[in-house]
Amino acid sequence: MEAVKGEARVLLGAPATRFSYIRDREEWLGPLMLGPAILYIVLVVGFPFFLALYYSVSDITLGSRSLGFVGLKNFTGVIGTTKFQTALKNTFVFAILSQLLVLVLGNVLALALQKDFRGKWLVRLLILLPWVAPISLGTIGWLWIVDSIYSVINWTLRAVGIFGPTFWPIWLGVPHLAMGTVIAVHVWRLLPLATVILLAGLSSIPKDIHDAAQVDGASFWRHYFQVTLPLLLPVAVVALLFGLVFAFTDMTVIYVLTRGGPYDTTQVLASLAFFTGVAGGDLAEGAAISLFLFPLLLAAAIGFLRIARRSEVV
Amino acid sequence: MTQKKQRLISRRDLIKAGALAAGVGPAIIIPGRARAAKKTLKILQWVHFVPPYDEWFNKKYTKEWGDKNDTEVTVDNIGIAGISARAASEVSAQKGHDLFLFNWPPPTYEEQVVDMKDVYEEVQRKHGKPIDLGVKSTYNPKTKKYFGFSPSFTPDPVNYRQDLFSAVGMPNGPASWDDVRAGGKKIKQQFNNPVGVGLAQEIDTAMAMRTIMYSFGASEQDANGNLILNSKETLEAVKFVKALYQETMTPEVFSWDASSNNRAMIAGQISVALNAISITRTAEKENPEMSKKIQLTKALRGPVRAIGLEHVMDVYVIWKFAENIEGAKKFLIDYTTNFRQAFVAGEFYDFPCFPRTVPDLKTLIAKDPKAHPADKYKVLEDVLEWATNVGYPGYSNAAIDEIFNTWVLNVMFAKAASGAATPEEAIKEADVACKRVFAKWKAKGLV
Repeated sequence: MEAVKGEARVLLGAPATRFSYIRDREEWLGPLMLGPAILYIVLVVGFPFFLALYYSVSDITLGSRSLGFVGLKNFTGVIGTTKFQTALKNTFVFAILSQLLVLVLGNVLALALQKDFRGKWLVRLLILLPWVAPISLGTIGWLWIVDSIYSVINWTLRAVGIFGPTFWPIWLGVPHLAMGTVIAVHVWRLLPLATVILLAGLSSIPKDIHDAAQVDGASFWRHYFQVTLPLLLPVAVVALLFGLVFAFTDMTVIYVLTRGGPYDTTQVLASLAFFTGVAGGDLAEGAAISLFLFPLLLAAAIGFLRIARRSEVV
Repeated sequence: MTQKKQRLISRRDLIKAGALAAGVGPAIIIPGRARAAKKTLKILQWVHFVPPYDEWFNKKYTKEWGDKNDTEVTVDNIGIAGISARAASEVSAQKGHDLFLFNWPPPTYEEQVVDMKDVYEEVQRKHGKPIDLGVKSTYNPKTKKYFGFSPSFTPDPVNYRQDLFSAVGMPNGPASWDDVRAGGKKIKQQFNNPVGVGLAQEIDTAMAMRTIMYSFGASEQDANGNLILNSKETLEAVKFVKALYQETMTPEVFSWDASSNNRAMIAGQISVALNAISITRTAEKENPEMSKKIQLTKALRGPVRAIGLEHVMDVYVIWKFAENIEGAKKFLIDYTTNFRQAFVAGEFYDFPCFPRTVPDLKTLIAKDPKAHPADKYKVLEDVLEWATNVGYPGYSNAAIDEIFNTWVLNVMFAKAASGAATPEEAIKEADVACKRVFAKWKAKGLV
């Protein structure tokens, strides 16, 4: 029997080694394959997270190496400040509005890309570009597009006669325009990911279900809301979850475009945490600000994943 | 016998050869190893606003200094926006450069840096006393420690459009803040060129707002480090900025970054800006015609005094974990001694904190071949007398640093100017924030 096995190995071109023992047993191979991923998550996500958790209940500053335990003082101290309350409100406005737009536009794009048309590959490539390009680089491009002096948008719209000679919107200098701009750039950034996820979801819906709906004479909207959307829900929820987590925790767009201005009207918790912890030197308070939404995001993640699981079509 | 002799020689030779190979061999076989024994000095500093400075510093000065001191000097340049994060990561890792240049006073790092008292003493022995601004930006009177060493700073004069101010009857430009308000209003009405004093969350705004506050007799703290922001002088300063914004500016100042006023001035869009001489130097290269129209003036007079701030404060620190602390100190002493070269290489961007290191400063700036007129920079000849530090009349301490870097005062002025809050509300909100910051750093024993 052993001789046969050995012969088989030779025939398959795999020499009989001690590793073969592990390779042939799922209880060893599984953990071995998952190991690097788990190690990566522990080192790159887990370690910084627990370090931040530790910092948030300490009195650490940028210049000190000693950590005194202060309990929840950093959290209770910062909650009452105007800066924090403004940032908290802005975070929700920024995250919710941007995700609503991402979901709607992502759906439209995914539906469009599902159809066959000439140059589809080019459209797909162009849509993916914002996701492929480094976010800071892309945002610097936007900074020039909405610059108060050289705004490409303003120059173009004035040249084609839409803006009058005295109309020159300051995109980053007026609170609602600034918030609108950072949301728009964030949507531009996240749209490719949402589109790809939704497109994958759409592709996984069996074609005969669409055919059946068509035979039954369902209109586009009825077809979409009563057939496509329910089947797309598990994937859409995952896309929404990714988007929300990004929007609640990322500060790149805001840091590059407004640094929280004008007068804190686009300041979000992530950027406030950076300014307090790294620029201001109070690492402990910065960590507390950055972790403030963690319980909420964790609950949201669990909730979303449950919804996704329940709505899966078996 | 022959065999025995052969064996003995052979053994000894083997041992000798082994010892030789182990001791000297690597130096012969791998010459790089021999050079590795040379001392090293690692310097990190910003990408200078004046590129020829980096050329001189990186390729000439440090190389020559390294040769004289048998040291391999490496210089890493990063953008000013990355300095904070880089410093934080070096401290966190307890590893990094021997000399680290901040472009502002970094008192929050006091526990991580070596005391620079001996460097100050040595330079003072050679070149006389430093200016008050240099000391107040690097010394903590509470702990009696020099947390940094400042060989130089960048002045923050007023850049104004001479053609526009001449047209409204001020050919020599504004001399006071009231002149800026009155002249700026007329210029905006007649030529549609607003005043360009920032009201955003960036460094130029932070400097300009403090300049106005200090000239109105207001400040964040008194000479002893006590918080005194909520005062009638601050209220007057905030009311003035509100009026200045409403009469002479547009909302674009709320959106600016540190280079926006440079671009706006060179593009011919604004009438006044507070900035380093980077505006005029850039204009000389990129827009010579505009350069002729942009002139400089000294600190503007407010109701209480005429005072200006430093624009960039060059503060070198040496981490406690640096590998070549003595070499770093010697480099600083020598660099300061040779500061005249830096002054010329930087095209007068950086001024000395030890005035005697550039004895012919007045002569140099009075006749600049690139300037139009040649004595454009002459107004800076007495800048050492009217430039002051962030935190005036006190020291640049950790609380002042956090207030500066989290833009508390920028937001206070911007909220009042835009009408998002009344001047009283804006001051009250800023005062509450400042009280928290002061209490925090006092509890840590740094203020």
